[in-house]
Amino acid sequence: MKMTIVSVLLLVVLSFGAQSQTLDTTTFIVVGEGLAAGMANFGLSSVMQSKDFAALLAAQMNTGMEQPLMQPPGIGDVVGYPGQEVQVQKYPQGSVRQTYLPTDLTKAPISTPPLFVTNLSVPGLTLNDSVTMRPVAPVVQRGNMKQTVFNMILGFPQLILDNVPLWTQFEYAQAMFPTVALIELGYYEALNAAVAGDPRLLPSPAAFGATYGTVVAGLRGLQAQVIVTTIPNPLDTGYFNSPAAAAGVVLASPSVLSIGYNIGPQDYVTRNGLQTISNQLSTLQESSQEILPTPGGFLPLPPGSTLSAATAAAITSGVNALNAQILSAAKANGAVVYDLNAFLHNIKVSGAKAGAATVTGDYLGGFYSLDGVYPGATGHALIANDILRFLNQTYHRSFALVNVASVAASDPALQYVKPASAQLFTPSSLGLGR
Amino acid sequence: MATRPGNCPERPRWLQFREQPFGTSLLISGLLMAAAGLCYGSAFSVSELGAKASGMGTAFIGIADDGSALVYNPAGIAFQSGAHLEMDNAVVVGLFRFTPSSTPVGQVVPPNGYSNSIKPHFIPLAFMYATKQISPKLTVGMAIFTPFGLSANSTNFHDGDPNLTKFVARFAGTRVRLESFWFQPTFAYKLKDNLAIAIGPTFVHTHLELEKSFLNPLGPDDGLSFGRTAAPTVLPGVPVNEAAAIIARLLPEGRSRVAGTANSPAISAGLLWKHPSSKTNIGLMFRSSVVNHLSGKASFAFGNQPYALEQYVGPKFLPNAFPNQAITGSFPTPATYGIGFANSKFWNTTFAVDVRMQDYKKFKNVPLDFGINKEVPGTTNIALPAEQILNFNFRESWNFAFGAERPISPTTTIRVGYQFDMTPVVPQSAGPLFPDADRNSFTVGATRKSGTKEFTFFYEAMKFMDRQTNVPANDYQWTNGDYHNFAHVAGLAMRFDVTNFSIKKH
Repeated sequence: MKMTIVSVLLLVVLSFGAQSQTLDTTTFIVVGEGLAAGMANFGLSSVMQSKDFAALLAAQMNTGMEQPLMQPPGIGDVVGYPGQEVQVQKYPQGSVRQTYLPTDLTKAPISTPPLFVTNLSVPGLTLNDSVTMRPVAPVVQRGNMKQTVFNMILGFPQLILDNVPLWTQFEYAQAMFPTVALIELGYYEALNAAVAGDPRLLPSPAAFGATYGTVVAGLRGLQAQVIVTTIPNPLDTGYFNSPAAAAGVVLASPSVLSIGYNIGPQDYVTRNGLQTISNQLSTLQESSQEILPTPGGFLPLPPGSTLSAATAAAITSGVNALNAQILSAAKANGAVVYDLNAFLHNIKVSGAKAGAATVTGDYLGGFYSLDGVYPGATGHALIANDILRFLNQTYHRSFALVNVASVAASDPALQYVKPASAQLFTPSSLGLGR
Repeated sequence: MATRPGNCPERPRWLQFREQPFGTSLLISGLLMAAAGLCYGSAFSVSELGAKASGMGTAFIGIADDGSALVYNPAGIAFQSGAHLEMDNAVVVGLFRFTPSSTPVGQVVPPNGYSNSIKPHFIPLAFMYATKQISPKLTVGMAIFTPFGLSANSTNFHDGDPNLTKFVARFAGTRVRLESFWFQPTFAYKLKDNLAIAIGPTFVHTHLELEKSFLNPLGPDDGLSFGRTAAPTVLPGVPVNEAAAIIARLLPEGRSRVAGTANSPAISAGLLWKHPSSKTNIGLMFRSSVVNHLSGKASFAFGNQPYALEQYVGPKFLPNAFPNQAITGSFPTPATYGIGFANSKFWNTTFAVDVRMQDYKKFKNVPLDFGINKEVPGTTNIALPAEQILNFNFRESWNFAFGAERPISPTTTIRVGYQFDMTPVVPQSAGPLFPDADRNSFTVGATRKSGTKEFTFFYEAMKFMDRQTNVPANDYQWTNGDYHNFAHVAGLAMRFDVTNFSIKKH
């Protein structure tokens, strides 16, 4: 609570400080990781890149946004799953980096990639990576998906040109001489720690704050207006679900999870845990078994299926500490803070309207894509609108909002919502406690 | 024993030298005029062209009784008997402050705003006048003066400095220097004992120098045309105009300097009518407008700042795009029309009022023509247009001057004056080149006579009315804001009656 009050006060101070500033949207760059890159479902591809909040913001602000578009089905490792093998592209991917149709459709498609991109976000990138990682030849790095994705986004076509600089993400951002820079970094570190269930994987707040301050100061030094986003708490994503929410997804009563899997009321069931539980219950249903596979409960869940309340609290505390560092770095360098963490927390707690539909932050709740940690199109539209409201208020602008209803109407994430049928599995139906 | 004219006894040689002040004055004036030039009349007009007139708030058209009559009202010399030499000097200390109302993000603005008079802080002025009565009706004169001058310098930075510490309005201009030297022989003729006219065919030599930063990364500037060309290659996924704006920012800041000179004809004229019984004078003056056809050189520099596109376009790209070259252009200066009244009937005091209008509407723009430009067949990658027009769109300027002088002894006269000077600079053009505003000036002065010599001094406190501009078109030049200016002007004149002077042959 104390930290929340401090955060609110800091936000108020920072907001007042920004009111006298102007927002020049000529060159809008985004420095982020998977969330800002448009990562969704099981990879980074143009399907979501063209709908992510960065692209939507640029469109609403009437400024250009060059995305490093990737051919579907996309590239990149998915949080919580084992890393994929890097392979030389094959059908349906050709160039991997997608080329463009010309403005004049009577002309041939542009076969060359853009020289530069302005959405510099790279899935899986940490803050430390942002200032140290560089493109490395060859473009495709067998055994290193992260470097390959980095090369594809920030090293292409530079890696195939002679005598051109190979920048880190931070250096790239500076070289673009932005007027507005949005920084969305730190989320991957939080996700990594939360998914592994190990708060020790979170970076040291002091070191994180120092590096973050370097990035903000470096961009502010270019006279850019810098907007930093707080790190969302991974526990507010669809990856982590309360027993009640998880029970709804697997069509079971909450007591099935507590009795059958020994999941406490304050614990969380992860996306992987949901899939395992669903598989087990479905198997039971299909085999019409009325007895438990093992005496006293179900088969034990694999590691990473649940998160204990204590670990969750430690993760939350760690994320708050990092966010305090972000606030401090922003204040020290005159950046403004958009509280993405608060917005996603509200989504988790209260949900949001998207046209006629209501989306929630639970798994299959409509806000997040199938990976549970990165939003779908509707989620991105809702984030974009909240940022636009923030910009309008902070800079006295009047950017139009995204038509969320229109986005939701064609968003697959709203079509794979969790089933609404009654609880199929109960302790008695499963013979629990017998 | 040789005698001097007037039968004065011969003086020692060192004193003879002191009696030949004009030679020394010529030397001093020549040096000072090389540095002369200042904007302390309307826009780039200089109204303090004589110490005596300046002590009376420059209300002098109806008086015109010393050498500076050649510029205030040339007909006045027709009533000056004998021969006179006069040298006027002045020094100006400008306290010019500009506080921008908005700045780029992170801009460091000095606590008291920016100074537009970085160097030099003291600006000298010098003028020379000579008159000689040829006959009871005809008097001739020669004036060398600078009715137009400008000197502003906001260059508070080196090219390699961080952008956020550089003068914020550098893309509108950093330094300007204008000197317009008028060499005006004058012929005045008495039509009647109380009515004279004069005409002065004039040779005008003008020197203009402008410096500013260009390739403004925050505004529509030369980089945009390059950006539009490069957009399909650099950022094919972005609409051309948006891509061009992004690409323009990937170029470095440049600095341009344009300097040129011009020689042009002009003419001055005047009329002075005296009504002895009422001790009233009425004068008219005219100074023609001049279109200065400049020829000079344009040069461009880009410092050593690294920029994102450098290794893609090559180090010679920008020097090739903006080649140093000879240029031509034109720079108009306005005509001046004036009427003045003077009356000496009351309280042994002369009261004077002048109204002057300067036709600054003629100063709409300054076109600069580049011989090496992108429209020349066969040239490639040249970014310069055939003609670049600097728009100013000035308006007419009105000047109202009031003054009084009173002899307090046979050898001493004191003066006081006031002047209101309406600026011709429209808000659009208020900036580092013309940090101008309406002005209220209060002046004092005095003359002390000693034999054939007169020494006159004046002081002028010039308060510019605080000015605030808010022109949307200037948003990205960052010239909108508060202009808070004051100037001290002080001067000294020496006038010699050389009617009976002759150079002794040894």
